[in-house]
Amino acid sequence: MVPTPEITATFKILLIGDSNVGKSSIIRRFTDDKFLSPEETNATIGVDFKVTMYDVDEKRYKLAIWDTAGQERFRTLTSSYYRGAQGVILVYDVSSRETFENLENWIEEVNTYCPSDDVVKMIVGNKIDKETEERVPRKEGFEYARKHQTLFLECSAKTKVGVQQAVEELVNKIIDTPSLWSKSSPKKGTVSVDESVTSGFSSGCAC
Amino acid sequence: MDEEYDVIILGTGLTECMLSGILAVEGKKVLHIDRNDFYGGECASVNLTQMYQRFRNGEQPPSELGRDRDYLIDLIPKFLMTGEGLIKVLVYTDVVRYLEFRAIATSMVYNGSKIYKVPSTPNEALTSSLVGVFQKVKARSFFEFLQSWQGTEAHHQGVSMDGDTMDKVYEHFGLNEDTQEFIGHSMALHLDEGYKKRPARETCKRVIMYANSAARAMADGRNSPYIYPQYGLGDLPQAFARLSAVYAGTFMLATPVDEVVRDEAGAFVGVKSGGKIARARQVIGDPSYFTDSVRVTDRVIRAICILRAPIPKTEADSAQIILPQRQTGRKHDIYVTCLSSQQKICPAGFYVASISTIAETQGDPKEEIAAGIKLLGPIDQIFVTVSNVYEPVTDGTKDNVFISRSYDATSHFETVYDDVKDLYHRITGKDLVLQKRPKMEEDAAAAAT
Repeated sequence: MVPTPEITATFKILLIGDSNVGKSSIIRRFTDDKFLSPEETNATIGVDFKVTMYDVDEKRYKLAIWDTAGQERFRTLTSSYYRGAQGVILVYDVSSRETFENLENWIEEVNTYCPSDDVVKMIVGNKIDKETEERVPRKEGFEYARKHQTLFLECSAKTKVGVQQAVEELVNKIIDTPSLWSKSSPKKGTVSVDESVTSGFSSGCAC
Repeated sequence: MDEEYDVIILGTGLTECMLSGILAVEGKKVLHIDRNDFYGGECASVNLTQMYQRFRNGEQPPSELGRDRDYLIDLIPKFLMTGEGLIKVLVYTDVVRYLEFRAIATSMVYNGSKIYKVPSTPNEALTSSLVGVFQKVKARSFFEFLQSWQGTEAHHQGVSMDGDTMDKVYEHFGLNEDTQEFIGHSMALHLDEGYKKRPARETCKRVIMYANSAARAMADGRNSPYIYPQYGLGDLPQAFARLSAVYAGTFMLATPVDEVVRDEAGAFVGVKSGGKIARARQVIGDPSYFTDSVRVTDRVIRAICILRAPIPKTEADSAQIILPQRQTGRKHDIYVTCLSSQQKICPAGFYVASISTIAETQGDPKEEIAAGIKLLGPIDQIFVTVSNVYEPVTDGTKDNVFISRSYDATSHFETVYDDVKDLYHRITGKDLVLQKRPKMEEDAAAAAT
């Protein structure tokens, strides 16, 4: 049996953006290479995050990709959702200018909860397969991303185009910035909490 | 909003969010509303700007206090113990995956105007100066009695757990006032002397829970039985809110509740907000949403203090100090807690201490907690509040309006857990039996296939 390569690091990656821009679809396309029709999206109930392995340069990284669990709908994401993230993907729908304009709010929220020097950000325009006249031009998305010093890509979770590249580019940037993840382990000094009960009266004689 | 739900929940305090998560996991369609634009209600951990808005009429916080967002100050100070019920819920629902806990460095008790380290275990207690020489043998037989009790039997070694008062048990074992104070206040964490007139079971169970938590702490190399979620207690309701959302619970913050609509018989119909109505069979909410259906049980004094050094004599990044009522000539204990940047609730170089007790007079609240204030050393900022503790006047089974209790002055979450269990029973007619959620690793393995 081939030994499982050791995991070099685990990255927490978040997706945010307006409802129905295709965040869950991007995650599903990247991790399972599947695309669900709108009728099937109830299947996301109970999905907290998806985990996948990413191998590069003979090293293995574990990616935990977190979904918003619908809390973006009324802008009620918890601050704890953002904690400990190394990467944030801000998604808009290229066929909906409103979702592009709302990126401003999302960027503000990310900057509040994730100090900019601690996280790699990427703006992703999804649904480029859609035929529409209203399309947010690629150049505009690109300029906007440059203004906010984030990575940028367009993709389609439906046709697969660009999804893999988007996540990989983000992860490679995280890997290239070891200060984001090679600091002292965040688990240091934390207390593990489990079900086991230690009896308080059996620790030997008190004589 | 214009929809039909199984249950509508008002307020995002810990009790409400725990029920939200538990009910959503069971498949209930939950709508969860809060009038505030943040999670947690009274259980929130707030930044400096929010503190000054609340307590200083929106004054600008002084810049010497450091970065606003580095502060996460608990409005209600509490710690957790590994043996308590809330931990069981966190583990079973695997809500622990959203949290990181840190140890509280030390636990002390005030005795004769000085503070001493609380012995971690019953064995350590027997060698401590807090239990008198002539009491050691007697205290040991009491601890052995607890050790051999299974926690459920009604009778044990001639003591009736539900028939005998704790007073009677103390008498049975010949324990004096000092030992009683240690057991009742430092271990069972009672706030006053009322427990002595109640059945022994309550106190015996509390002492066992304390001792188990302390033993676990010792096995893990921690010096106190208390733990604390880093980034503040406000992360607890948020973590349960996430659980609820993952199981399709809908959250709306900054949503004022204009009216709780009832039918002619007074039974719950729905909640009106901004001209829309959401309907459900049942509603759960904190007392602030049902001011006509609650009564005041106590008034709690809480003082939040920003310090620039650890509490003198603790020299620790975090601490709990209990001032038993007998030591300060009061009826209720005073609790002092202290946290720092170690728990990620303030910038490095600062400490946030809280003093709390149940108010006994209508006078100056600072007077009542003077003994606690004296322990803190120089105080940079102090914010004092007196808040009412409410309980519902009815149990909700007739009108389908289920109201939680306010957060009391106790130092941990047992009373919150009791309220959650009790509300669950009233709401569903069943005892709360938690379903085990797959752990993060199992979830991950399933997600990877």
